[in-house]
Amino acid sequence: MSKPIIILDNGAHTIKVGLSTESVPRLVPNAAIRSKGDKQLYIGQEFDNCRDYSSLTNRFSFERGYLTDWDVQKAVWDYLFSSEGMASDFKNTSLLITEPPFNFRSIQEKYDQLVFEEYEFESYVRCPGRSNSLKQSQDEEFIPLLLATALAPYGSLFASPQHLNVPYPECSIVVDSGFSFTHVVPIMQGQILWGGVRRIDVGGKLLTNHLSNLVSFRQWNMLDQTYIVNDIKEKCCFVTSSFKDDLETCRIPGNNTTLQYVLPDVSRNRHGYIRDRSTTNPLPGSNRNPMESSDPSDLEQILYMSNERFTVPELIFNPSDIGLSQAGLHHTIADSIASLPEDIQGMFWANIGLIGGNMCFPNFENRLRQELRALAPIEYDVGLYPSQEPILETYKAARAFSNSSAYFNLAITREEYNEGGSNACRRKFRCFDWDPIKEKQLTSARPSRRDRTRGVDTAQSGEEDSEDSEVRRVAKKTLNTRKREKVIPATTKTKRDASLRK
Amino acid sequence: MPPRKKQPERQIQQTQLQTVPADLIVKRTKRHLDELERSNYAEPGVIGEEETSGAKGRARDIISDRRPGPGVSGKRKSTLNVRGALLYKKNLSQLIEESGLPALPAGTPSYLTAVAPPPKVPPRVLCSVCGYWGKYKCRRCAMPYCDLSCQATHNDTRCEKRVI
Repeated sequence: MSKPIIILDNGAHTIKVGLSTESVPRLVPNAAIRSKGDKQLYIGQEFDNCRDYSSLTNRFSFERGYLTDWDVQKAVWDYLFSSEGMASDFKNTSLLITEPPFNFRSIQEKYDQLVFEEYEFESYVRCPGRSNSLKQSQDEEFIPLLLATALAPYGSLFASPQHLNVPYPECSIVVDSGFSFTHVVPIMQGQILWGGVRRIDVGGKLLTNHLSNLVSFRQWNMLDQTYIVNDIKEKCCFVTSSFKDDLETCRIPGNNTTLQYVLPDVSRNRHGYIRDRSTTNPLPGSNRNPMESSDPSDLEQILYMSNERFTVPELIFNPSDIGLSQAGLHHTIADSIASLPEDIQGMFWANIGLIGGNMCFPNFENRLRQELRALAPIEYDVGLYPSQEPILETYKAARAFSNSSAYFNLAITREEYNEGGSNACRRKFRCFDWDPIKEKQLTSARPSRRDRTRGVDTAQSGEEDSEDSEVRRVAKKTLNTRKREKVIPATTKTKRDASLRK
Repeated sequence: MPPRKKQPERQIQQTQLQTVPADLIVKRTKRHLDELERSNYAEPGVIGEEETSGAKGRARDIISDRRPGPGVSGKRKSTLNVRGALLYKKNLSQLIEESGLPALPAGTPSYLTAVAPPPKVPPRVLCSVCGYWGKYKCRRCAMPYCDLSCQATHNDTRCEKRVI
């Protein structure tokens, strides 16, 4: 317990990192960025020194959400660890790192190699971020029960003032909408139900690029200035509650939805900002023609943001707007829940947590609640729990986890790695892993009787049937044990569901 | 009565219905989506300088060597595994192929099966110029637009350049 633990929430856009003693992590861009204006390459944290934000060339270490470019990643980590006292003594520190769901085995091996062979940490834990984002269990007895299965719930996503003493709900859905994609992950009793995980390929990157396309076609060419467009997206965009109405409103000149965004000015070192309405110049007729700046004395470049403000985040709810053939977030959540056993679906509907950078858009929760209410069966409650700080949520949960006793049971040490290699890691993190074949491979040294008599295929299909049936078994157990309040008390809402259904 | 003199049969002129073939539209959408996933803007036709990993001169030059490691003496060599991981970068598509995901028995959840289902409602068509409802489609390239002024803008700037 006295060993320091470094918590690294390895995101595709930003890394959230800190010691387990720090409650607020440091945000470090996870990329090598070359700035043409400053003519320098900034790796990770050095980006704070960058002055010229125009024409930046990014080289991200993640591609579509998975770590492919280890070169950049190692460079960022090197720089990160060597600064501010984190470098201290790796041989005695432990590392907790997050990975995307369905991470490929070859990438997982590389994580292991880099952590142990290059940095030589003493021990580490690697897990999908979502399994962490759960409420801290108040009940001490709860933890040993769950250790047998998986990660015990941590984090305070589902905490609310009325339910302070209620431990984490057993069934929940965590929606993580980040830079690369959006995942809907059902979690039951601390374990991710891999059969119900869904992925929408809409993330912050897609939204920023879409916005820059729109703006570049309609107004100023900003195709190569992703950093500035990202800033615009974060400042101006919101999620609409009614797409039709807002679209009509934007046609009217002088409406409230249109904003003027003043582009940053390098020569005067000004950052971009939204111009106050009181000083806003009246628009010349329609909203679509702002090619010359309306204030020649100041030589400002102004962007008029009207329907782009809400059509861009609308992509999360309707990816088909740009031709992506995937259902929107609300339909995906419904689909994910529909793939789970019917009797416990109500519990999932009642506990939906929202994390990830894209949740910072204003009005996201209302819109999602509106859409989900239309899709959920009438007898179920729809409970949405947006995180107060969506970007930092996973870090907080990871920190809570690292402070618990379960952490050191789960962590794999360098000695174990040297003996067993990546397989040893996979065996230990099995509770987080999605790959059913590994069961066979890990036990391949001792072929079971089942393997010998039947063929390989049937053994594998036996594995995957067992996951499904395991879900049902756990579901039955959940319903039965709800009466035993001491062990697994349910939230008041789910109790009401159960009584309704009975 | 003798039969009336008939006018010579007029050839019915088939107005050429210039529909854009569906596969072109699909290709175009796919290209647009791929563009949306890129990290940097590359001028069409110019090869990005980052992609010259094939060039022998740059193949060994990795970024992480330029910055010192954490408190590590410069003499320490990384293990073979680590060097290999750093040098040989793999794309996501290579990773997917290598991991043999399509070969898994049906029913096992994996990266490929976890994709969201296709939409149940037909897509909304928005004007490609201004963003309002796209009620009409361009005859030559099937991009939607909302009114005459948007059509004029579209014809001047984007029409037919988009069709492959």
